[in-house]
Amino acid sequence: MTLRGRKIFIAAVALLGIWELSGGLYIHAKAWLAQKLIATAWARTLAGEKDVRPWPWADTWPIARLKIEAAHVDLYVLADASGRSLAFGPGLVSGTAPLGSEGASIVAAHRDTHFRFLKELRPGTMLSLQTADGRKYLYKVSEAHILDVRAERLSLDDVVPTLTLLTCYPFDAVVPGGPLRYAAVAERVEGISANAM
Amino acid sequence: MPTHTARSPVPPFFALPEIAFREYVRRPRDAFIGFFSVLCVLLLLATAAHAQSEDFIGAGTLYLRSDATDVVQAPRLHTDVTMKVTGIIARVQVRQRFQNSSDNWVEGLYAFPLPENSAVDRMRMEVGERVTIGEIREKVEAQKLYEQARESGQHASVVHQSRPNLFRTAVANIGPGQTVAITIEYLEIIEQQAGRYSMRFPLTITPRYIPGVTVDQGAVVTDETPVAALTAAVSPHDTAVLGDLQPTLIAPDTSSQSVSFDVDIDAGVALKDVASTYHAVKVDTHDSRTHVRLTSERVAPDHDFELAWTPQVHGEPAAALFHERTEDGDHVLLMVMPPQEDMRVSTPREVIFVIDTSGSMEGESIRQARAALLKGLASLKPTDRFSIIQFNSIFDCLFAQPVSATPDNLATARHYVAALRATGGTEMLPALSAAFAMEASGEHLRQIVFMTDGAVGNEEQLMQTIRAKLGDARLFTIGIGSAPNAAFMRKAAQMGRGTFTYIGSIDEVDQKMSALLQKLTSPVLTDIELHWPSNAAVEYAPAQVRDLYLGEPVVVVARVQGEVKGMLAITGHSSGVWMRQIPLHDVQGREGVATLWARNRIEDLLDARASGVSPDEIRSQVLPIALRYQLVTDYTSLVAVDHTPARPASEGLDSQRVPNTLPQGSAWPVATYPKTATPAELHLIVGLCLLLAAAVLFMNERRRVRS
Repeated sequence: MTLRGRKIFIAAVALLGIWELSGGLYIHAKAWLAQKLIATAWARTLAGEKDVRPWPWADTWPIARLKIEAAHVDLYVLADASGRSLAFGPGLVSGTAPLGSEGASIVAAHRDTHFRFLKELRPGTMLSLQTADGRKYLYKVSEAHILDVRAERLSLDDVVPTLTLLTCYPFDAVVPGGPLRYAAVAERVEGISANAM
Repeated sequence: MPTHTARSPVPPFFALPEIAFREYVRRPRDAFIGFFSVLCVLLLLATAAHAQSEDFIGAGTLYLRSDATDVVQAPRLHTDVTMKVTGIIARVQVRQRFQNSSDNWVEGLYAFPLPENSAVDRMRMEVGERVTIGEIREKVEAQKLYEQARESGQHASVVHQSRPNLFRTAVANIGPGQTVAITIEYLEIIEQQAGRYSMRFPLTITPRYIPGVTVDQGAVVTDETPVAALTAAVSPHDTAVLGDLQPTLIAPDTSSQSVSFDVDIDAGVALKDVASTYHAVKVDTHDSRTHVRLTSERVAPDHDFELAWTPQVHGEPAAALFHERTEDGDHVLLMVMPPQEDMRVSTPREVIFVIDTSGSMEGESIRQARAALLKGLASLKPTDRFSIIQFNSIFDCLFAQPVSATPDNLATARHYVAALRATGGTEMLPALSAAFAMEASGEHLRQIVFMTDGAVGNEEQLMQTIRAKLGDARLFTIGIGSAPNAAFMRKAAQMGRGTFTYIGSIDEVDQKMSALLQKLTSPVLTDIELHWPSNAAVEYAPAQVRDLYLGEPVVVVARVQGEVKGMLAITGHSSGVWMRQIPLHDVQGREGVATLWARNRIEDLLDARASGVSPDEIRSQVLPIALRYQLVTDYTSLVAVDHTPARPASEGLDSQRVPNTLPQGSAWPVATYPKTATPAELHLIVGLCLLLAAAVLFMNERRRVRS
C-alpha cells in the first residue's frame, strides 16, 4: 500500500470511529436535551393547558413528572411508549392504567438513558409522581422481576394501585433487542402523597 | 521493522494488538484481518464481561420477596362447568376444585377468564361437608376479610374481577392432601345471529399483551439467553398479593388441570344443528330439552368451548320476553328478531375513507391499512360516491368533494393508496371535521370509514365533534395494528352509529373487511324505539338501543316502574317502517333478569370513563347498584370465610400461583413489549475500538516513516 493509501485508510478508520462514537453520544444527547425541552411543556401543562407538545412536530407530550430523591432522578413521563417517544423520555405503556388511577400503570424507558438508575433501585425506595392535574402520588418499590417477553406477560390486574418501571435487561448488554425485561413494581402509599414533592 | 516474516503460530488476536498489527500491516488484506480480529476480540471481551456480572440473576427470578422455602407444588385444579340454558338466559356454574397434593398448607391463586358479558353474582366454598356462601363486599374490604382469615388459619376464598373478562380466585389454607371447591356462578344473555344461538366459554387467558408499538418479529433465542428464561416464569414463592405477574403457563395435562362440561338447554321448542365448534360432544334430546356433554369426560383447558344451536321455529320468530320483579322495580328482558331482508342496500352510498398516516402507523400497520382500504374501494359500485382523506400532522383529501366511483376515479384512488406513507404527528380532529364537512348529496347514504391505531390524547374533543356533526352519517372505525385504542374506537363507532372492527394482523384483513363490507352494504334497522303503556317509567340498560345490521336481534333490558301490562310496540326504520306489537300479559317470570339489567347498567356507567367522568363519580354511582344487585364488579368482590380454625398457628402457609394451561397452538410473540434498549453503548464501543485501531495504525505509520 502506498503511503497515501495508508494515510487515507487510517483517516477512514478514524472517521468511522468518530461517526460511530457520535452516533452513541447523539442518543444520549437527544435523551438529555429532550427532557430539558419537555420541562417547559410540563410547566404549561401544570398551568392548565392540555397535551402540550414540547416541540411543534412532536407526536407526544408529557403526562407526569417522576422523581426519586434517593437516586437523584427527575424525569418527565410521556404519553406513549413508542420507539420514537422513548428516545425523548420514559413513556406510559398504552393499555395500562392511566397514571395516578386505581389500576396498574407501566412506564417504560431505555435502560441506557433514562432508566439507567433502575439497576441501583432498591426495595423500599420511594418514588413520587405528579400527574398533569397537579396531584402528587407516592409509591414504594416493593419488588422487582426479570421476565422473558417470549414466555411471560406482566399482569395489569392489581387490587393495590401500582406503578411499574420497565426497561431492558441485562442492563449492560451491548447489543440491543434482547428478550428480557426488568420490571420494578412500586405500590402506592396512601395518605402521605400531599407532600411528596 | 521486524525482518522475519514467519507467521506466529498463535492466532493474531491472542498476540498483543500492536505486534499483530506490525506483522500484518504489510499487506492491506492482512491489515484488515488483523484489525477486525482485534475489534472482534474487544467486542467479545466486553460482552463476556457483562454476561459474567449478570450471571446470578436469570429470568423468572423474583428476588425481593422470596422467603427461600422449599419448592411446593401448586395445587391441582379441576373445573366443572354446568350450564342451564332457559330460552335466552344461561345460568352457569363454574366449580373449581383446588387439590393440594403437597405436605404443606397452601394458598392457591388462580386467574381465569369468563365471558365478557357475564354477570357474576354467586360463590360458595366447600371444604369437605362444610359449605360457606360467599358475600358481595367492596373490593378492598373483601380482600381485607380474606387476608385476616388467611392469617388466622381459616378456610377462606375471594373472587375479584380484574377485567370484564378476567377474574381471580384466591383460596387460603388448603391443608395437606385437602381439596377445597369454589363454585362461581354467573348469568349471561345468549348471543344470537341470524336465528342461530351460540355461547362461548373461554378456557384460556385472553392474549392481551402489554401493548407497545415496536414489533420485533426477528428476535430469536440466542446463546446468551439463560436457559431458565425458557421455562421458568414466576417464582412459586410468590406472595399473596393478587396481581403482579402473569401466571405461569404449563403444557396441557389432564391429571393436573382439566375441565368438564354439562349443558342443559330448554329452549321451549325443538332444536336443530346442536354443535360444538372445538370439542367432540354427545347430544341427547328429549322433547324440547337438550343435554350436551363432552365425549371424553375431562379435557385439558387449552381451548375455548363453544356451543351453537338453532331453535326450530315456523313462521315469524317468536319474541322472547321475560321479567323479574324486585323491590327496585320490574325488570324486563326482550329479544326480538326483525324481519331479515335478504338484499343489498338499494340506496347508493357515499363513502369517505379517513386513514391515519402518522408516524405511529409506520411498518405493518400502514400495510394493513392500505390493504383494508383497497378492499373498501373494490366494494364500490358506479352509483356510489367516495373520497379519501389521509392525515398525520396535516390532512390531505384525494378529492375535495366526493366523486362517483368511476373506473378512472378508482384507478386514481388506488394509486393514491399505494403511495401512502406513515410519518409525522396525529392530528385527527381536522381530518374528521373535514370528512363531516364534505357536501352530502342527500340521496346517498353517508358512511365514514375511519382507520387508525388510535394513538390520540384528545378523545373527548373527538367524541364531541362526532356527536355534534354526525347528522345522518354513520361512522365505522377500524382499529389497526398491535395496540389500537380499542375502547376509544368502539365508543366512537357507537356514537357514530356504526361498528368497530379490529384488524390485528395482515392475515385478518380479508375476513374482517368482508364482514364490515357486508354491514356497509346491508339494510340497517335504525331509529329503534319502544313504546310502553303510558304510565310506565323505563330505564334502559344500555341506555340506547343501537342500530342493527343484518342478522342481529333487538335485545333490550329495562327496569320499569309502574305496572307492566297492555301492549309493547317496537318500531324501526329499514327500507320501510317496521313495527311489532308484543302483548305484555303473557310475560314470563325469570330469575336473573334484574341481575342482568344491573350488569348492563353498570357497564354503561363504567363507559362514562371515556367521556371524562371522574373515577370517583363513577365509583359512587356503580357501588350502590353492585351492592344492591349483588354483582362482582371493578369495585366489588365475593368473599367467603369459614370461621372454624383450620391451620394450626405452628404451620406455615405457602402461597402458590396455579398455572394456566397454555392455549393450543399458541406461540408467545416477542412483539408488543416496548423495546427499551438503545444501540448507544454499541455505537460507543465500536466507535472507541475504531479510534483505538486508527491510533495504533497511525503510531505504526509514524514509526515506519521515521525508520
